[in-house]
Amino acid sequence: MSGRVWTRERLIAVLPAALLLAVVVALPIARVVFLSFTRTELEHGVTLHPAGFEPFVRLWQDGRWWTSLGNTAVFTGSSLVAEMVLGVAIALLLQRRFRGRGVLRALVMLPWALPTAVMALAWAWIFNDSFGVANDLLQRLGILHGPLAWLGHRGTAMAAMVIADVWKTTPFVALIVLAGLQSIPEQVIEAARIDGLGAWQRFRRVTLPLVAPSLIVALAFRMVQAYGAFDLVYVMTGGGPGGSTETVSLYAFQNYFRYLDFGYGSAIAVQGALIAIVLVLIVVRLARGAGEPA
Amino acid sequence: MNRVGRAPVTFVVAAALLLGAGCRPLPGDAQAGGAHLAVLMQPGERPFWLPVAEVFERDHPGVHVDLVEGPQSTDLRENLYTASLLAGDPSFDLVYMDVTWTSKFAAAGWLRSLDDAFDADARAALLPAALEAGIYRGHLYRVPVRTDVGVLYYRKDWLDGAGLAPPHTFDELATIARRLQKPPERWGFVWQGKQYEGLICDFLEVLHGEGGFWIDPATLEVGLDRPEAIAALRFLAGTRAGPDPISPPGVTTYQEEESRRLFQDGRAVFLRNWPYVWRLSQREDSPLRGRVGVVPMVHAKGRPSAGTLGGWGLGISAFSRHPDLALAFIRHTTTLESQRLLCEPTGYAPSLRAAYSDPALRAANPFLDDLLEIHAGAVPRPIVPRYALASDILQRRLSAALAGAMPPAAALRAAARETRLMLGDAAVAKR
Repeated sequence: MSGRVWTRERLIAVLPAALLLAVVVALPIARVVFLSFTRTELEHGVTLHPAGFEPFVRLWQDGRWWTSLGNTAVFTGSSLVAEMVLGVAIALLLQRRFRGRGVLRALVMLPWALPTAVMALAWAWIFNDSFGVANDLLQRLGILHGPLAWLGHRGTAMAAMVIADVWKTTPFVALIVLAGLQSIPEQVIEAARIDGLGAWQRFRRVTLPLVAPSLIVALAFRMVQAYGAFDLVYVMTGGGPGGSTETVSLYAFQNYFRYLDFGYGSAIAVQGALIAIVLVLIVVRLARGAGEPA
Repeated sequence: MNRVGRAPVTFVVAAALLLGAGCRPLPGDAQAGGAHLAVLMQPGERPFWLPVAEVFERDHPGVHVDLVEGPQSTDLRENLYTASLLAGDPSFDLVYMDVTWTSKFAAAGWLRSLDDAFDADARAALLPAALEAGIYRGHLYRVPVRTDVGVLYYRKDWLDGAGLAPPHTFDELATIARRLQKPPERWGFVWQGKQYEGLICDFLEVLHGEGGFWIDPATLEVGLDRPEAIAALRFLAGTRAGPDPISPPGVTTYQEEESRRLFQDGRAVFLRNWPYVWRLSQREDSPLRGRVGVVPMVHAKGRPSAGTLGGWGLGISAFSRHPDLALAFIRHTTTLESQRLLCEPTGYAPSLRAAYSDPALRAANPFLDDLLEIHAGAVPRPIVPRYALASDILQRRLSAALAGAMPPAAALRAAARETRLMLGDAAVAKR
C-alpha cells in the first residue's frame, strides 16, 4: 500500500480534524495532568505550585477518596449487571416479530433520550419519603408498613440511584445488543434448532456467543459512563447520606468547586482516568477472548 | 490562574437554576436606562428585602436593585456565586454571604476590600462578633446585615409548673428533660443532627461549652481529639442512645425546621435553634404563644455558655462594574430604618448595635437584650480559606459517631488527623 506517504494534500486534509482534537481533547487533558502535579494555594488569590507526586500520596492516604472509590465500584458493578441482563432480555423481546414493534422500539428508547439531570430530579421525587410514588405503591402492596426515607439511609440511597441509572441506560444496552442480534444469520439459529437444541441451550450456546462482541462494546461504554457518574448523584443525593453515595467524580467536583483545590481535584481526576483505562483494557482483553473460536 | 473545569460550571449553573426557583433570567450587564445592582439571595428572604431596595432606589434615581432569587439551598447558592466569580463574571455586584463563605471568597481574590469604606466609627456601630466574621487576614470583606446565634428554647409553662428553673449546665438540661418527657409523645431535647452545616453549629456550642475548641485561628492547632471534644460528642450521642434517651432517634435526620416543628407541636421540652423561632412560636395561631422561654445554650459546670455565630452579610464582587453604588447599598442596609424593615417582620437579629434599643424592634422581640448578651460570647467558625473542607471532614465523622457507626473518641481522632493533614497542606503553603 502506498498510503504511508504523507503528501501535502493529505496533511492539509487531516489538519482541521487534528487541530480540533488538539484544542478540545488534548489541551484540556494536558492541563488536568499538569494540574495534578501541583498544589493549589488559596491565600492571596488562587495560585499553583509544583508538588510532584505529593497530591497522589495524599490521595492514597485519604479515607474519603477510598470511600468514594468503593461507592463508585458498587454503583458501577450493580448498574452494569442489571443493565446487561435487562438489556439482553429486552433486545430478545424486540427481536421477535409482532404488531407495533416499531412503535415499541422507539418508546423503549425514551429514557435514554432524557437529560440525566431532569430524570434524576424526577427519581428523587419518586423516592421522596412523604410525596413519593415508590413509598405509596409499596405501602399499598403491603410491602412497606410506613414511609421509608429512601435517600436518607446508606443502603437504600445507593439502591435508589442504581434503579434510576438502570432505568435510564438499559435502553442503550438493548439497542446495541439488538443490532448484534440482527447480524446473526437466521440459518445458524435454524441449524441449532434442527440439531435439537432447546430454547435455553440455543440462547446459551449460539445466540449469546454470537452477540458477545456487541455486548462487550455496550459493557465498555456503560462501564466508563457509570464509573464517571456525576449528574445523577449530584441531583439525587448530593453524595449523602454520610458520603455513602459520593462518587469519585463528585469528590473531584467538591474539590474544584467548594474547596477551590484545583490541584487535588485534578489528581483525583487523573487517578480516576488511570483506573478507568485499566478497566477498559481488561474488557478489551475479554472481548478478544470472546471473539476467538472456542 | 486560568479557568478550570468549564463543563462543571455550566452544569452546576443549569442544575441549580433547574432545582431552584430560577425561572427568571440572570441579570445581564448594565442595561440602558440606569445602572443595575444585582444580588443573589434566598427566595424566602426576598419579600423583606424589597422595601429596603425600594428606599434605596428612591434615594438613587435611575438605579435598579435586582434582588435575584436563587435556589433555596445555601450550598447551591454558594455554587452559583462560585461559578460566576470563578469565571470573572460581573453579573452580581453584591455577594450576599453566609459567615462561612467570607474566607474562601476573600482568599480567592473575588471580593473588594472594604477597609477604607468602613472607618472605626462605622465599624463600632455594628456588633463586634458579627463584624469579626467578615474579616480575613486583617481586611474587611463582608459587612453583616443580619446576624444569628444559637440559643436554647424551653417550655416555660412546663418548667414553671414543675417548679424548675431553666438549666445552665448539660446535666441540668438532661435531668429536667428526663423528668418532663414522655417519649415518644413528648421528647426532652431536640436539635439538629443531620450531616450538614447545622450539625457543626450544634457541636461547636457543646464543644465550647465543655471548654474545648475546633481549630485555633492563630496557631492552627486542632483540638478535636482532646478530652473536651470527646466529652462534647459523647453528650450529643448520649441524648439519643442509652437506656433513657432524651432525643428522638430521628434527631440525626433533623435540620432546623424538623426540630422546630416538633417543638412547635408541643412535643419537646427543649429546642436548640436560631432566633427566628421566637417569632414563629409567638404568632397568634401558635399553641406555644406565651409558653416559651429563651436562655443561652447550656454548658459544662464552671464554663461559659457558647452560641454558634451565624448570619448573613454583603460584600462587593471584585468584578462589579458599579462598586461605588454597591458600597452605597451596603451602607444603606446598615441604617436603622433598613434594619427595622428587615428584622421586624422576620425576627432576624439585627447587626446594628443601635437596633437593639429601638422601641419597634424591642416590641417585636422581647429578648433582644439577651441576644445582645449571647452575641458577646458567640463562637465563630474557624476563618480558614478551606473552611468547607474542614466542615465536611468534621460533619462526616460526627455523623458516623451519632449513627453509632464509630465510637466518639475514634471518630474525633480520625477527624483530627484529617483536619491536621488539610491544615498541614496550608502550613506548607505559607512557608
